[in-house]
Amino acid sequence: MAYKPQYYPGTTSVGKNRRKHMSGDLEKLRDISDADVVTIMGHRAPGADYPSTHPPLAEMGEPDCPIRQIVTPTPGAAAGDRIRYSQFADSMYNAPAIPYFRSYWAAINCRGSDPGTLSGRQIVEARERDIEQYTKIMMDTEMCDPALATMRGCTVHGHSLRLDEDGMMFDMLARTELGSDGNVYYVKDQVGIPLDRKVNAGKPMSEAEAKKRTTIFRCDNVSFGGPCTADKRTLDEGLVTLHHMWERRSKWGFRPE
Amino acid sequence: MVTKSDTESVQIEIFPQRFLKPDTAQRLLEEIYRSGGILRIMIQGPNLPKSVPYGPGKGIPIEEHMNMLLELGDSALELRVKVGRIWLELESEEKIEGVKAACERVLPCTFTIKRKQLFHTKPTVSDYAKYGSEVEDKRILGLVDPKAKRERDLAILSDTGGDT
Repeated sequence: MAYKPQYYPGTTSVGKNRRKHMSGDLEKLRDISDADVVTIMGHRAPGADYPSTHPPLAEMGEPDCPIRQIVTPTPGAAAGDRIRYSQFADSMYNAPAIPYFRSYWAAINCRGSDPGTLSGRQIVEARERDIEQYTKIMMDTEMCDPALATMRGCTVHGHSLRLDEDGMMFDMLARTELGSDGNVYYVKDQVGIPLDRKVNAGKPMSEAEAKKRTTIFRCDNVSFGGPCTADKRTLDEGLVTLHHMWERRSKWGFRPE
Repeated sequence: MVTKSDTESVQIEIFPQRFLKPDTAQRLLEEIYRSGGILRIMIQGPNLPKSVPYGPGKGIPIEEHMNMLLELGDSALELRVKVGRIWLELESEEKIEGVKAACERVLPCTFTIKRKQLFHTKPTVSDYAKYGSEVEDKRILGLVDPKAKRERDLAILSDTGGDT
């Protein structure tokens, strides 16, 4: 029987969504053009050549190395692109993705990437043409709700703050705005430099939709097992597994002799 | 505020479930002010910088945050925060209902009103550094944070704005 990876336990919608993120089996919800993604990232002008840090690998004459023979370089590495990044902040109000699951997704599904996990934001670094492709996947699929997850290269404040009146995550640099047509528009790139034109990032999810697609356990949506003060909690399988790991780690780690 | 009263004052916190747009904050404060009996008002929320503070875009002006004014009574203050919390000191407990009604009329989201001691009553070390050993008007205590500029972030309103 072929091996089937088991990414994450749990029978709740959150558990299922976490499995989807880790496996990369994500539903595509919108189509943002390559040029728009490049514009928001702000590393190069759309259509411009990719600056490089070294000649293409084919021209360099690589040393005789068994690993290099096994591993096919990514398109960015083969062309000698610069390392560039995209960073997202996710609201704690039922944003579809959270830093840890963005990192799991990137580490499992994106070759040649370096994901970095922080409390309220998550960065992925890779060769320029690779990171553009990975960022497009993040923005096009259910990993992103343009109102609750924004690309923010700096001044990322917003994850743990209340939402604005219109349901948008607070942004100190006002990079996004909710248009009168109901779409979210980027008016600045990820580091807050104004764009020549607004970039449409799609419609925000409804509150119910965000609750359905989130990977966040919350007491007011899908909780780990009800309030901590409840007489009897029915814990999600994910938490039971986590407790199991803690218990085993504590017992194995504690060796008094 | 300069209203004087014989009754015991109360302090309340209005906490909306969403951050307020400048227009909403303006309307809410107007309604609250109109309901009367206000001794002190403090608004609080995350900072809205005038320019990009970090990164490659450092120093680029943020046009969206320019020229935001809060006009109340005969004074105007520059709005420099996204309003997320309002502290009020009211003349008496009876005034709470008026504030609650104003919130229900204006706020587009749910909110909570809690009564508690909010403004500190004795000068802190920061107050000593800022105002010296003698604070002329004790009502200033707790109204602005230590780094605030008094002439920029504090306004004294007349008591003629309220209906009562």
